[in-house]
Amino acid sequence: MSTIMHKKTTAAPKYRAPAPLGGRRNPAIGQRRKNIQALAFLIPALLVLGAFTAWPMISALRLSFTDASGFGKEKWVGFENYARIFTDPVILNAVVNTALYALLFTPMAVALALVLALLLNDPRLPFRGFFRTALFLPFIISLAVAAIAWSYLIDPQVGLLNYWLGNAGIRIGNVLQDPVLAMPAVAFVAVWKSFGFYMVIFLAGLQEIPGSLYEAAKVDGAGPLMRFRHVTMPMLSNTTAFVLIFALIAALQAFDQIYVMTGGGPYGHTETVVMQIYKSGFQKLDVGFASALSYVLLAATLLLSVVQFVFFGKREREGD
Amino acid sequence: MKRSLAFLTVVAAASLALTSCSGGGAGGESKDGAKSELTFWHGYTEADGKVLNKIVDDFNASQSEVSIKVQTNPWSVIDDTLLPALSSGKGPDIVAMPAERLPVYADKGAFVQLDDFYKNPSSNLDKLIPAAADMETVNGHKYGVPSGFVPLAMFYNKTLFAKAGITAPPTTWDEWIAAAKRLTVDENNDGTPEQFGLGLPDHATVANGVWPSLFYGNGGNVVKDGKAVVDSPENAQTLKTWVDAIRNEKISPAGLDGIAGDKLFSSGKAAMYLGGPWMSSIATENKIDYGIAAVPAGPKDQAASAIGISMGITTQKDEAKAAAAQKFFAYFLQKEQATAWSLGSGWPPLRSDIPASDVAANPVVEALTKQSEFGRPLLPGVVNSTDVLTAVDKLTQRAVAGENIQDLLKETQASVQKIVDAK
Repeated sequence: MSTIMHKKTTAAPKYRAPAPLGGRRNPAIGQRRKNIQALAFLIPALLVLGAFTAWPMISALRLSFTDASGFGKEKWVGFENYARIFTDPVILNAVVNTALYALLFTPMAVALALVLALLLNDPRLPFRGFFRTALFLPFIISLAVAAIAWSYLIDPQVGLLNYWLGNAGIRIGNVLQDPVLAMPAVAFVAVWKSFGFYMVIFLAGLQEIPGSLYEAAKVDGAGPLMRFRHVTMPMLSNTTAFVLIFALIAALQAFDQIYVMTGGGPYGHTETVVMQIYKSGFQKLDVGFASALSYVLLAATLLLSVVQFVFFGKREREGD
Repeated sequence: MKRSLAFLTVVAAASLALTSCSGGGAGGESKDGAKSELTFWHGYTEADGKVLNKIVDDFNASQSEVSIKVQTNPWSVIDDTLLPALSSGKGPDIVAMPAERLPVYADKGAFVQLDDFYKNPSSNLDKLIPAAADMETVNGHKYGVPSGFVPLAMFYNKTLFAKAGITAPPTTWDEWIAAAKRLTVDENNDGTPEQFGLGLPDHATVANGVWPSLFYGNGGNVVKDGKAVVDSPENAQTLKTWVDAIRNEKISPAGLDGIAGDKLFSSGKAAMYLGGPWMSSIATENKIDYGIAAVPAGPKDQAASAIGISMGITTQKDEAKAAAAQKFFAYFLQKEQATAWSLGSGWPPLRSDIPASDVAANPVVEALTKQSEFGRPLLPGVVNSTDVLTAVDKLTQRAVAGENIQDLLKETQASVQKIVDAK
């Protein structure tokens, strides 16, 4: 660990260590002392990470090759759990649902965040501070609270939203129990809940773009669309890559909000992979299988993130 | 990224850490002559919890060898924390849980087998209601003792009945549907009634016992002797009758689940509803003038799925603790305690030798006790009962949504058989 840190501090070219106090000293000794100090400060965090992230990850990997129930005897079953994942229709249904959810959620959340960030970045817009806060607010609310509130709003019997829409002559019916509409409905609530976060990241990215680039583009005769296409988008590609990956990971992990709103229903139409992990582990006591499913989800997430990263990394280099 | 992977394990590890702080930290190792100190988890959080804790206190005072410490957690918390607690060896010695969850744990070896305890004449089990004992049988052995067994009953809104001029609750399916039609009111003729005759959830009810009750009424079933028997002409007829009533006569909203159904009845928007003892407190809180009747008889039979709670002894501790826990069960099932428990919890007595008149002090219990004979345990001994009930849920939801009943039954039959065969 200390060697890694050593490399990092020396590799950073812009950083120059302040001159040590108290006269001349052997610089190597000072460096070593600093490393020890740094390590001492890191230890609490490392312990927590080790106990609650690294150790569970390793033990989950081991469990994924067993028929463990969480207690009592366990048997080594090799790749049996992994084979089951790709043949079980219930799991495959959850995989399809998760993909569908990601396809609905990710573009909607990212596009909405980008459009609103562009709007809120415009100094001509009055009450910018208020709008920024208001749009970010849903992100702060607890997921379960948001899910319950929305469930009430669209409840067919007591829902305020249904009442208003009904007065306007629109009948949306029992959305959360509709096999076709349930998934878009939960994805919509997730977008409402989280686009504010992505919007703030886009706003930060927009503010990093030097104004001189726009001025130069203007001088060259570029209209607003051209400026967006040739200045804003290339300069934002790092931010966009980050937001997309982040949103995609959030989509693949979808669980709590959907669990509260539909419990996976109607008849499995909103059941996601993480919901199956929860059910296999905690309800069926099939911890080995749940661990295998976790690892498959991890592999899928990693793969998609790498693809996105490479794609946007390439675009950025081309943009330069 | 890491979060996704570690979701389950981190939750497990976190709850493990939590339970190790609060769980059986008492550390009462039972040595010869020393007191056995046991922990007992249950989810009775209302008046029923107070009565149960008093029974435990009385038991602790009644002898000097065993001392039980109670820890109250809501049922959902028990379901989520029992596994991590057991895997860390910090679980409770005795745990109460919804009866349909017992087979899963028992099959994985989490509970002490109680066959000898059931045979022992001093266990006070000889008078136990047989259907309640069936609930505790897994793979041919007994793994638990019931702390609750109650058939679903029909709760009806007396005010709405009086308004519609109906004087007595229905007793047969024909009367039931006729009454439900009269009690369904669509004031503005927009096709959606403002008041429903019946709240008939098509999924996610407590223990999912509503539709099996209807299947029994027409001589049908879901699983019998380890075989799927969903696809039968009886069940087809049952589904047709009730789907017709919901879809065409609109006696109940479609796509209703248990929680929404409770709300529908407690807000006075449904005149009839199937539920357990908890419905009386929900109705009272919402000032509904209610009556209790048995689930109306079907063409072939009168029966209702029963909701149950089971208590098991976890296998993590030594024999002395298991023996001490059995001592408590025997005490709990004595006539005096069983009567007090029934009156306090609002559930009918677990012993067949306690007549309804003995619990007349609580009219709800008295009414439910009269119906005990109709109670049937739901999928007793079916280890993967959760999956079977999910399949039945799917069947009823899709049927109510208007899909072809014959195709659905065929599909459900196949999936239920597969689930049963997996164990």
